[in-house]
Amino acid sequence: MTKENNLTPDVIIKSFKDKFKTKIIDAQIKKKPAGSEKKEAIDIWMKVDKSVFKNVIKHLCDLQYPHLPVASGNDLGKNIELIYHFTLNFDKRLEEINLNISVELPKSKPEIETICDLIPGALITEREKQEFLGVKIKGIPDDRRVFLPDDFPKDVYPWRRDEKGLEKLYKNLHEVKK
Amino acid sequence: MSQTTKTTYHIPIGPIHPALKEPVYFEFEIDGERIVDVDVKLGHVHRAVEWASRKRNPIQIMYLAERICGICSYCHPAAFTLAVEKAADIQVPERAEYLRVIQAEVERITSHALWAGVAAHEIGFDTVLFLTWEMREKLMDLTEFLCGNRVTKGILTIGGIRRDITSDMVPKVTGVLDYLKDNFERLRKIFLDDKTIKMRAQGAGILTNDNALKLCAVGPTTRASGVKKDVRVGQSYFAYGDLNIDYVTPDTLTGEVNGDVYDRIIQRLLEIKQSIDLIEQCLDKMPKGDITYEPKIAKVLNQLKKAEGEGVGRHEAPRGEVIHYVKLDGNEAPFTWKVRAPTYNNILPWIPMLKGEQIADIPIVAASTDPCMSCTNRVGIVKDGNKYELTKEELHRLSVEKTRRLMR
Amino acid sequence: MAKGLTKAFKKALWVYHCNSGSCNGCDIEIIAALCPRYDVERFGIKLVGSPRHADVLLVTGPVTRQMEDKVKRVFEQMPDPKAVICVGNCGNTGDVFYESYNLVGPINQILPVDVHVVGCPPRPEAIIYAVAKAWTKLETLEG
Repeated sequence: MTKENNLTPDVIIKSFKDKFKTKIIDAQIKKKPAGSEKKEAIDIWMKVDKSVFKNVIKHLCDLQYPHLPVASGNDLGKNIELIYHFTLNFDKRLEEINLNISVELPKSKPEIETICDLIPGALITEREKQEFLGVKIKGIPDDRRVFLPDDFPKDVYPWRRDEKGLEKLYKNLHEVKK
Repeated sequence: MSQTTKTTYHIPIGPIHPALKEPVYFEFEIDGERIVDVDVKLGHVHRAVEWASRKRNPIQIMYLAERICGICSYCHPAAFTLAVEKAADIQVPERAEYLRVIQAEVERITSHALWAGVAAHEIGFDTVLFLTWEMREKLMDLTEFLCGNRVTKGILTIGGIRRDITSDMVPKVTGVLDYLKDNFERLRKIFLDDKTIKMRAQGAGILTNDNALKLCAVGPTTRASGVKKDVRVGQSYFAYGDLNIDYVTPDTLTGEVNGDVYDRIIQRLLEIKQSIDLIEQCLDKMPKGDITYEPKIAKVLNQLKKAEGEGVGRHEAPRGEVIHYVKLDGNEAPFTWKVRAPTYNNILPWIPMLKGEQIADIPIVAASTDPCMSCTNRVGIVKDGNKYELTKEELHRLSVEKTRRLMR
Repeated sequence: MAKGLTKAFKKALWVYHCNSGSCNGCDIEIIAALCPRYDVERFGIKLVGSPRHADVLLVTGPVTRQMEDKVKRVFEQMPDPKAVICVGNCGNTGDVFYESYNLVGPINQILPVDVHVVGCPPRPEAIIYAVAKAWTKLETLEG
């Protein structure tokens, strides 16, 4: 499913910046060598504005169909940051590129569109973000809980660090009751 | 006279059952003996590991990461150290990288031997279970000799490895490798030449190339369908960049790729052979040097306390790709730690694999993807309607009966 | 709990294994105890598939909230006389997961435990020793 056969990191960043111009807020390449011959592993970290998020993913699927292992999330105080980790070029020796796309959502309105119609394998990770961070994903085909039990309180999000987090439910099994 | 309508039955297969040793909850919608629909529900082994990391420093998190799963207890610390070393920009000595590869490959052979026994038990061949687990006991002896313990090894540390393989320990390692090479032919004959296994495994639980790509499957499950995804070959980490390694797919042995249970058996046997070869390459090429970049742990912790950055660590575990994300922000505990185990991505492919199969095939198809539920969480499928409890023993009994029927 | 033990009870103990959310380390060591290296079947100890046939219950893992009532139901399905063995550190005290919000507590707050096996995971020899201790405990309760 590859349209272009030699995707180097610079070619990828240039193709996104040409199409979306200023909506790509930041893009950095990081390399880490390993082993005796010091071959390098390549990571690209890209920050994207949330209004063009779905179009960015569509452009990526046209460039080369990616592999999506997982999406992770951070609670940054006023915003919630979601990071989608993609992998490209996965069938060639020593040419894999890790592409990490991060999006910031304000806590007053934490909504984002689903990418399950483009990449069906994203279903479980999107459901997990809904129940752990309180993000609302529009258009998701199945919005039940994934890991938490059904009788867990409704408005408590374990990964958050504010009043909706879990400090009150912290439990100590070792406690010696006097 | 009233018309009777044909309805489908919903069968929940509850969390406690004798087959897969982990709590797994399935619910199938069946019509006669054929499965019409499958629903997946997760969540029973959720122990809040990521949340517990907020009060611990990175060295303590290594011990927490080992106990996420007992079978793949090396791959989670491995991915975690890769992520921390990328975030804090730590360079690992070369000898340590080669030693890490040897430990990872020993774990891979152990895990595939475990899987071979469990899969044979699901078909009904208990003798093969005892045979492969006896082979595995030799590998457990080797693990105890190299690391000090059988299951939770505690051999990795940030910036290196804790124990060395000196030149007087090498003959024992090569002794075990020779034993494996002698028995490999026996294992191959049992699994691949047996008429009954062929009848049960060929054509069952097919996962097409297209579905494997779209559902983002990982590990031997996806390589058996012809998709070439392997973190060791594609990315340079540990010492894999120096070694001679290539993608392994079933067509190296049989010439064609079908994506059924038989192909997954072939895939894992070929990977055992590849691992033996990689360990021998490492023992030849290993350079001399330190085994960790800083032997005093207090200094490592001081450096990590001041470090800031983010890192993603990926490693190829026996079941697929493990990925950890770590963000350090200048405090003692990391700001964020995200764990994703390989079975997480291999659950959605169960749905196209099981539709159209018979109930008696459920254990063998589910076991062929080698799920590790404690890494993931349970899978529960329940629907209303005609509910009756099919315990795991029932399911296992049905599977064994089908084998006896085919053997006649 | 121990009235009516017959002579046959002293010859063979049937064991049922229940996983209440563990990491599988202890479960692998329980199955390794059945394999030819440690071979626990020569003592007559057998792993059965249903709690209604069992004499001894082996519980592993810290009890997560979703599994609490299921473990209790398994215990009630077992016929008297019975013994409960808690394998591994997770069930004894919580091990590294002691602060989790999803755990209900050490197993002895849910079921009456007779023998505790310590270790993470305990070796197969320790598990066989524990089953033998449960046997002697049931024997003294009869006499």
